[in-house]
Amino acid sequence: MQKIFNLACGSFYALGAYVGVSAVQAFTAAGGPPWLFVVPLVVAGLGVGVVGVVVERGLLRYVYERDETFQLLLTFALVLMLEDVIRMVWGTSPRSTSGLYLAYGQVRLLGATVPVYNLIVVAASLVIALSIGWLLTRTAFGRIMRATADNRQMAEALGVDLRRVYARVFTLGTALGTLGGALVIPATAAMSEMGIELIVEAFAVVVIGGLGSMRGAFVGALVVGILRAVAISVFPEIEMLLIYLIVIAVLVLRPHGLFGAVPA
Amino acid sequence: MTTTRRQFLTLVGGAAAVGARLGAAPAFAQGGGPVKIGVLAIRAGIAAPVGAAGLRSTEWWAERTNKAGGILGRQVQLVVEEESNPKDTVERYRKLVLQDKVEVVIGGISTGVTLALGPVAEDLATPWLSWDGTTQKGVEETMPNPKWAFKSVDNEVEAIVAGMLTPKYFKGIKTVAGIGNDYSYGHDCWETYQAVLRRYVPDVKFVLELFPKLGVTDFTSHIASIQQSKADLLMCSFWSGDATIIMKQAAAVGLFKQMKGVFTTAGGVHDSLKKEFTPEGLLLGYNTMYFADPKGSPLLKQFVGDYKAKYNEYPPYECDHAYFNAESYKQAVEKAARGGKQWPDKAAVVKALEGIEVESLSAKRSWREDHVQMCNFYQGITTHKNGYDFVTIDPIEVVSTKQAMKPAGSKLMDWIKGWKV
Repeated sequence: MQKIFNLACGSFYALGAYVGVSAVQAFTAAGGPPWLFVVPLVVAGLGVGVVGVVVERGLLRYVYERDETFQLLLTFALVLMLEDVIRMVWGTSPRSTSGLYLAYGQVRLLGATVPVYNLIVVAASLVIALSIGWLLTRTAFGRIMRATADNRQMAEALGVDLRRVYARVFTLGTALGTLGGALVIPATAAMSEMGIELIVEAFAVVVIGGLGSMRGAFVGALVVGILRAVAISVFPEIEMLLIYLIVIAVLVLRPHGLFGAVPA
Repeated sequence: MTTTRRQFLTLVGGAAAVGARLGAAPAFAQGGGPVKIGVLAIRAGIAAPVGAAGLRSTEWWAERTNKAGGILGRQVQLVVEEESNPKDTVERYRKLVLQDKVEVVIGGISTGVTLALGPVAEDLATPWLSWDGTTQKGVEETMPNPKWAFKSVDNEVEAIVAGMLTPKYFKGIKTVAGIGNDYSYGHDCWETYQAVLRRYVPDVKFVLELFPKLGVTDFTSHIASIQQSKADLLMCSFWSGDATIIMKQAAAVGLFKQMKGVFTTAGGVHDSLKKEFTPEGLLLGYNTMYFADPKGSPLLKQFVGDYKAKYNEYPPYECDHAYFNAESYKQAVEKAARGGKQWPDKAAVVKALEGIEVESLSAKRSWREDHVQMCNFYQGITTHKNGYDFVTIDPIEVVSTKQAMKPAGSKLMDWIKGWKV
């Protein structure tokens, strides 16, 4: 909506992961039951999303009208700074929530053993996607967001307070990023450079799905995830190559992605 | 090098205090100032914990050495620079030698970087002792006769040791899958492991090889592929946080209920391999130092105790490489001085380093005549029977580089083919 290519989204994801680990560790150290660990995880993941307000009001609002290269450089600087902040606060060693990943056990599903926590994350992702869809299409705020994304001058002329809308939307996006980082952490480990890893995949998702399209992001993420899994099983040598071949094909044949709006 | 009045007084005061504590008079060699030692340590990225361990160990060594009177009476001063990419690290190396005027540079972990440092060390005529980096291209040596560069053990030694131990602990293995990082170390370890295992189990089949790039944090698809391969055993050469992650994600789908596991280098992150998700019965490599070695020296026990007290962690192997580098330099200087107090020139120190054997944290270690480290490698079978919340190994296998590293001047695969198994 703000027409900013925000590289720092990966850093928000990493930040959510680290804060999530700390919250869960504090919870279990205080005697909290292991099966309730998702509560501090989700609360911490959403809570640290407030960093979005600081970044949007403190930095991004100054560059909305500037050249895209400047915006890219600024958000990349944020990536590097947040990586250093993470190292200063949490150190350089990977952080994990130990064996809590298996606190809910495993189930057999279509002949495969699947950790129940994975199903919880899949369900949470669907709930988030549906909620965002509802927010965008069924609420007044959603209509304002879409109108602003479509034509910010017109929206402003009609009385939309852009400052407030931008701050709220960016904070919402940041909170989703930090929540994503927190939710993924029980199955993996937090590492300071995990944000950069995510940016690369997010870039492929956005290009395939189409910039600015929620439906596109959903489908793009599915395409990238499934392609990676299939490539690893069938022909592991082309795992990354395959994704970027698709990215190139989309850029050449459908430059605005599968669901991106074609400018008039 | 000039010493200001204030620096001189500080040094005299510090040395006098140390001397008073030790009950010995402070001794100064000619020049009197501290001996500067350059240290290159990775501070960022996936190898940052390894770099931190090496630096911590070097600082521990420097503190002890200074308390005991320094080297030939000169206090040790560490000048720390960052190891990052080859170009920048070479610049920092030059700065250490030309601007900071260090007597020696120690450190270097990534072979991608140290491959570039080797020729620079030769050029600048200052000894360089590498913690963990080699000057190998693939598995072959590019600097067989260096004058100033001292390199770490060959990268593939832990894969060789694991290949030797696999048939001993996992009898009847017919099919093997492999996973390693998609860079030289991962590929070289896998190739070497296959070559060694074929010598012991000629009909073994290697059914799958996966090379995710460094830094990946989701291995669920890789694990599904490994399960599909129905291999009897998985060989994994991960050495950082990815080792912990794959272990956790493998446990979640019960991978090691289906197959055996060999983790050649995961001992580098040993205290993150929690019992909750790391099963017993895996072959686990600790590289050159096993922190809980029951036969470990008092030096090892003291180091582990101090490290735990200061950092609340148990030290990984990089500490041993770093300690050996620093201590071997100290002893080489003393050897070159022939009992006197005259500081030897750099060439004499290099000569003294060749073939020197010193007590390191793990055990006695030495520099081979072609400037490659000689030491022991520790691997064993994971167990939960200990007082920690992570796995340790029992039994412990100790294999010397005399047995598991190609001799100077030989080609790796020819050497392995020549074994009498």
